[in-house]
Amino acid sequence: MFHLPTVQFTQEQEQFRLDVRTFLKDELAKGTFTPKCDSWLSGDDPEFSKLIGQKGWIGLTWPKKYGGQERSSIDRYILTEEFLAVGAPVAAHWFADRQTGPLLLRYGTEEQRDHFLPKIVKGECYFGIGLSEPNSGSDLASVSTRAEKVDGGWIVNGQKIWTSNAHLCHYMVTLVRTSPFDGKNKHAGLSQLIVDLHVEGVTVVPIKFLTGEHHYNEVFFDNVFVPDNMVVGEVGNGWIQGLAELAFERSGPERILSTFPLIDELIQELKRQNNLEGLQQASKIVARLWGLRNLSIGVAQLLESGNGDDVSIPAALVKALGTKFEQSIPEITRLIVQTYPTLDAHRKIDRFMAESILHAPGFTIRGGTSEVLYGVVAKGVIAQ
Amino acid sequence: MSEMRDMIVDVVERMLKEKVDKDLVDTVEQGNWAPELWELFKENGMTVVAVSEENGGAGGDIEDLLNIVRLTGKYAAPIPFIETTFANYLLQFTQLQVIEDLATYMLCPNQAFTLENGKLTGDVIQVPWARHTKHLVTLANSTEGAHLVEIDLSQAEIKLGSNLASEPRDTVIFQDATASQVSAVLPPDKVHTIITLNSAFQLALMTGAIDKINDLTIQYTKEREQFGRPIHRFQLVQQHIVNLAGETAIALAAFNNVTEALQMNSQNSEVAYACIRFEEIIQAVTTIAHQVHAAIGTTHEHSLHQFTRRLWSWRDEGASTSYWTQIVATQLLENSGDSLWGYLTSFSASSPLLKVDG
Repeated sequence: MFHLPTVQFTQEQEQFRLDVRTFLKDELAKGTFTPKCDSWLSGDDPEFSKLIGQKGWIGLTWPKKYGGQERSSIDRYILTEEFLAVGAPVAAHWFADRQTGPLLLRYGTEEQRDHFLPKIVKGECYFGIGLSEPNSGSDLASVSTRAEKVDGGWIVNGQKIWTSNAHLCHYMVTLVRTSPFDGKNKHAGLSQLIVDLHVEGVTVVPIKFLTGEHHYNEVFFDNVFVPDNMVVGEVGNGWIQGLAELAFERSGPERILSTFPLIDELIQELKRQNNLEGLQQASKIVARLWGLRNLSIGVAQLLESGNGDDVSIPAALVKALGTKFEQSIPEITRLIVQTYPTLDAHRKIDRFMAESILHAPGFTIRGGTSEVLYGVVAKGVIAQ
Repeated sequence: MSEMRDMIVDVVERMLKEKVDKDLVDTVEQGNWAPELWELFKENGMTVVAVSEENGGAGGDIEDLLNIVRLTGKYAAPIPFIETTFANYLLQFTQLQVIEDLATYMLCPNQAFTLENGKLTGDVIQVPWARHTKHLVTLANSTEGAHLVEIDLSQAEIKLGSNLASEPRDTVIFQDATASQVSAVLPPDKVHTIITLNSAFQLALMTGAIDKINDLTIQYTKEREQFGRPIHRFQLVQQHIVNLAGETAIALAAFNNVTEALQMNSQNSEVAYACIRFEEIIQAVTTIAHQVHAAIGTTHEHSLHQFTRRLWSWRDEGASTSYWTQIVATQLLENSGDSLWGYLTSFSASSPLLKVDG
């Protein structure tokens, strides 16, 4: 079975948590942001991202020479928890902070790090993740967007889809096929390119979310030139490089806390009603959250201690279980208190309910469907 | 985990693996037990872990002891290990003398003996292993309040009974029997601490059984073939595997967090959360394990029932889930002003809610 470490936060870490919390409380009081559920994907606010950047809270774990703070990934875990617990709008810089930075630190060139990381840290440079295509969803290895070698770079043709916030992003790390598909080795011949989303030949077309909101996009490439220095890592090594990102992507607090503002409001509502029976029912949600958080922090600690290779299976497990949990929250809540969910409701619980219900279907799909994750975990468990 | 603890866990697991097989566990159902195994535990000093050295113990702390309890649950060891060690832990906790013989305990708050002039009267049901043990540690009410008492079971009338797993759960009847030791009056918060500790020991035992059920089930999906391939190759079976492994991983992590919290003296919330969550875990794990094992798992010949039946019994022994949901609900209500997040993240801070002597 998975033996995950426990984590006791240090005094400094507890203090850091309180500092972040106080900052967010003050900004909330000033009206800087409106809390919402699923804020890490749907709460985009470049001004807020810049504010976070000024605090030094983007790229927290990165080397100081690129503008980072060289803090531990447990510190980053705490920071992320505090953002999500209040529903702060952290979507704009999210992927650059969570994925692109670590990717460039692991596989990027010095030139790429010098160029991108300081801008990301300031909250001024946003990255999208270009993986899915119309015919490559869960079966990602079948991507067909292709890059052909030309003098000084690559010519990219094809299409990505479901790219969150591409309309706000400056760049996209794009998984492309740099050699023809080989049925015997599906994972070979893939590469990661940094594509500037504002150059000639790139077209970003919105796909409206079921609420009518604009979160994700189609991105078309028509003879887009990408210079050689925008290749990440090795040509042909894109699959392995991409897998390395996944443990970070899959096991963080955002796989548990997307609907936390609703849980909090449920408890506040029950407290206002002095409803001990309702609180008893809600205590089961709290216990489930505690159980998942233990797992998620355990994986974070494994990543911190450099055991990243053992961690992909438990990380997939955290995402599969965590997203199921956050998805269940509105359905449990509505049986404990009476609500009438609308997106423009005055009552906070009604608005959080609406956001949670409408966003919930995506939780178990984005970043790897639960079905794919179940397959990954089952095979990992059997192989142990 | 400390190196010392790794070593203890390693030694105990090897002893249990070597000595405990299905037949030995079955002996409990015939009213017997495994004294040789007990002697082996004793020789290795495992029966007095977390008893201080001045009290004749082997030292070590509650985390060490809980990990041994977990292993006795994992192997369904037919010895009164949790009974004797927790009885002694309680005696030490209330500043009474620890005892050397086999002992047991009963702490159900709504069935306590009455204590008058050092004499105990009343009857208490579902006392584990009473027929095989010499001393009982239990709660008794005097006119002043609740006490922890230790009493010689030779003075008791014992009526045999058993739980769903056919483990001994006897009725103990005292009539003006002399208590050997009586603690000072225990204030309600101390009684609550004792109940919390009891639940922590119970969680350890159940974690072991959950872990074993997971092992048995995963192994079975590799060995059992149908339609020409091992059943773990079927996606619907894989779904069972993941749900089972997930609940097991949560149980193990919960147990580790509970034991660590006990060391830090802030155990209250963690034990409560774990007890509430284990309710769901046990339901899921036992259901999935039996479904995957199918018909063979429903036979007495197969060992699965030795663990599922124990879980179905153990979950009802000690404080109930509603006791814990009520505790959490009350804490949430009294935690006025603060957000849920503030409440959730404060318990890992160093605020000793309850003092435990390790």
